Amino acid sequence: MTDRIARVVLLIGALVLVSAPSDAETYRWVDEQGNVTYSDRPPQPRQVRPPAPDTKPTPDAKATEMKGPDVKTPETKVSDVKAPEVKAPEVRTSDVKAPEMQIPELKALDAKTSVPPTPIPRTGPTKIDELLELAGIRAQLVGLLSRVALDLRPPPGQMSPADQATIDRILAQTLRHEAVYGALRDAFRPQVDRPSLETTAAWLRTPVARKIVALETAASEPGAEQKVADYAAGLKANPPPARRLELLQRLDWVTGANETSADLVAAIARGLSSAVSAVSPPESRLRPSQIEDRAAQVRARANETLREVRTMSMLYTYQTLHDEELLEYVRFSGTDAGRWYNTAMRKALVGALGKAVEQTATELVRAVPIERWARAAMPASHAVK
Amino acid sequence: MTIGPVRDIALAIALALCVAAVAAAQERKTPAGSDLDRAQAAFQAGRYTEALGLARRAADASPTSVRALTVRAGMAEFMGEFEEARAVYERAAALAPDDVELIYRTASFAVRVGEYDRALAQLDRLLALHPAHVRWLFQWAPTYLQPGLLRDHPSLEQIVQIKLDILTEKGDLAQARQLARSYAIVKSGENYCGEAQAKSREGAEREETFKAFRLATLGQPDAADCIWWYGQWLSDEGYVRLGRLMVIEGTRMTPSAGNKESGARYLRVRLGGSREVPKRAEQLFLIARQRYLRDGDIDGAVRLFDESIHLSPTFARPYNYRATIAADLGDRDAALAWLQRALQADPDSWRTHRNLGKLLSELERYPEAEMHLRRTVQLFGDDAGGRLALARVLYAQGKYDDFAKEARAAVAFLANWKAPVPEVRDFLAKFDRWGPGAGLPPAPDPRIIIGWNYD
Repeated sequence: MTDRIARVVLLIGALVLVSAPSDAETYRWVDEQGNVTYSDRPPQPRQVRPPAPDTKPTPDAKATEMKGPDVKTPETKVSDVKAPEVKAPEVRTSDVKAPEMQIPELKALDAKTSVPPTPIPRTGPTKIDELLELAGIRAQLVGLLSRVALDLRPPPGQMSPADQATIDRILAQTLRHEAVYGALRDAFRPQVDRPSLETTAAWLRTPVARKIVALETAASEPGAEQKVADYAAGLKANPPPARRLELLQRLDWVTGANETSADLVAAIARGLSSAVSAVSPPESRLRPSQIEDRAAQVRARANETLREVRTMSMLYTYQTLHDEELLEYVRFSGTDAGRWYNTAMRKALVGALGKAVEQTATELVRAVPIERWARAAMPASHAVK
Repeated sequence: MTIGPVRDIALAIALALCVAAVAAAQERKTPAGSDLDRAQAAFQAGRYTEALGLARRAADASPTSVRALTVRAGMAEFMGEFEEARAVYERAAALAPDDVELIYRTASFAVRVGEYDRALAQLDRLLALHPAHVRWLFQWAPTYLQPGLLRDHPSLEQIVQIKLDILTEKGDLAQARQLARSYAIVKSGENYCGEAQAKSREGAEREETFKAFRLATLGQPDAADCIWWYGQWLSDEGYVRLGRLMVIEGTRMTPSAGNKESGARYLRVRLGGSREVPKRAEQLFLIARQRYLRDGDIDGAVRLFDESIHLSPTFARPYNYRATIAADLGDRDAALAWLQRALQADPDSWRTHRNLGKLLSELERYPEAEMHLRRTVQLFGDDAGGRLALARVLYAQGKYDDFAKEARAAVAFLANWKAPVPEVRDFLAKFDRWGPGAGLPPAPDPRIIIGWNYD
């Protein structure tokens, strides 16, 4: 489904950090020597509110990554449900021994209280819009775009009111939910494999899939970062069982979520680099291959940096899901149809978001010269230290 | 010409420029001197295009200054502007026909562009400038007297070295060895090959190691391993003509049937087989590559690559670089077209199949990519990076068993080279444990074939 969106929402903040060296003049996370500085605190409640998608901006709004093989032949396969001897992954929870979980914020994601996806008629071929609706794409895109907008917007007080108003207006226009959703749908369409689509739709109509979509949608909503941070803090004393972690690792593997997250991070970095390069003096402009190199570097770093974030996000998102339900999800994702869906969605999402970010950044630096962004960035870099 | 003398020439150019700069400093009141200073500074700072521009201006301002003309010609030669270099060398030679340095430089330049007869004529002129008794001794004195003579008259050493290059490049290794022995460049009974291998093991300076292997080639005709090494080194540097000759010689001399087979394959997949590359085309390619990789001078590099292709249409390397440039500029269609032209020029070019396969993979044209990447590893089985790229393409098409086979082979090969690929191992472990996932496998390109990477 689109848990990747939920996770990417959480990853965007880190993306800004890892992509900063390539775009130092745009962001506030780089010191005078060009070093990236990381906060040692978990994500804080947002100080600003992103421009609401599909609404007009308010000028004064406080906006709120040959020799025999050494790999042993496995003894378990996908079909083998029990995998009790799995080592805990490298999450911060590994040094804590308490076996039972006391999950904070449990109520927050109770699927019974979440709004299920809109019921879809079951007759006739499934339309792409229906599939995307079933998968929760439309709803989850809201959170993703909000987060992107939030990270592209400078903190209050650093830009002149006029520049701030211009930035808000551009963010609201170029990151419009419907526009990006349309681009995603257009990118998804050429990849459609009808039998796989129908199989995926059938899965998405099952109760467990609807429950999963609801959970993923809830986790993608603005403000989920703090909840994940709180939840992660709670895990220090109550680490998840190894079986749970094993299931989540499998899920991550079969859905290719890891790769999707990294691709998204790279797409955003690519878009930002392209936009900034385009308005740079000719001698400073980057060639397409140089932009690709930067995106690849950001992707590699993001992969490393965000591994833990991803694990925490999954633990949080699926906390109310039983292992057997999670296993159903894993099983579907491992089918041909599941792989098709995840691959097609990855391409569509990465393409659409990358274009949206590039367009946004292009307009931002066109309307507000890059020098003014750089000036605004300077004081904050000290603050982050 | 071998890499050693070429580097010596580069050094000579730098030294000449230093001399010119000192002289120019004494003439600071003249605009030409000032430009020469700046040209020299720019050259030493690695700003070669700027240096040539300044040298042109200096030479234009002082058209009768041999020094200014020599500097300009040297820089033009260094930048692959061969016609300009020729014209300016000739203008300088007309002004100072007996200038020893200038004659040596023009001889070197002639070797660089493959005009061996002209180079030999220049060397004759150079020799003629020496006193009669020196000439007589140089030509007729017994070998044991030659080292002292060459030491006292360095220009004679230069003559010998250039002649060795000419003979070697023309494929007359026997006469080159004879010449080297007669001037005591090499002596019988010395284990040059052992010394060279020791230097290589000890991690001596590259240049020093190279010279040692060159001596081994000249001094020990039966040292097949060292001759092989020399040929590969030359191939890595881009000296495909001499590289080919040495590989052929090493292959001929080796007693090992496996080595003979390997040598034949090497010639075919990396050096264009029997396709001859004119010297000038080779040199243009070498300099174009430098202008692109070192200087980022796309326009200059493209012009020289195109000239190289014009002179040697079956030489695959410049096509590949044209493709690289196109890809760098974001034009993948043009990159594909250049690679397809490269394949027409040389269907057995390992590098071309590799580049084409990887580009097609990026474009998600997996069946075509698979075809070229399979050919890549068929041509060069030790190409672990190519094999990993193939594995990725196989996975993308759902050919999981083939993927696992190729990926494991690459991982095992790389482990032997102490070049682990943990991300691939990790992927394989998960694949083995959980079956195929939606994400594609990583395809790192470990740099264990460093020289080949610059083909």
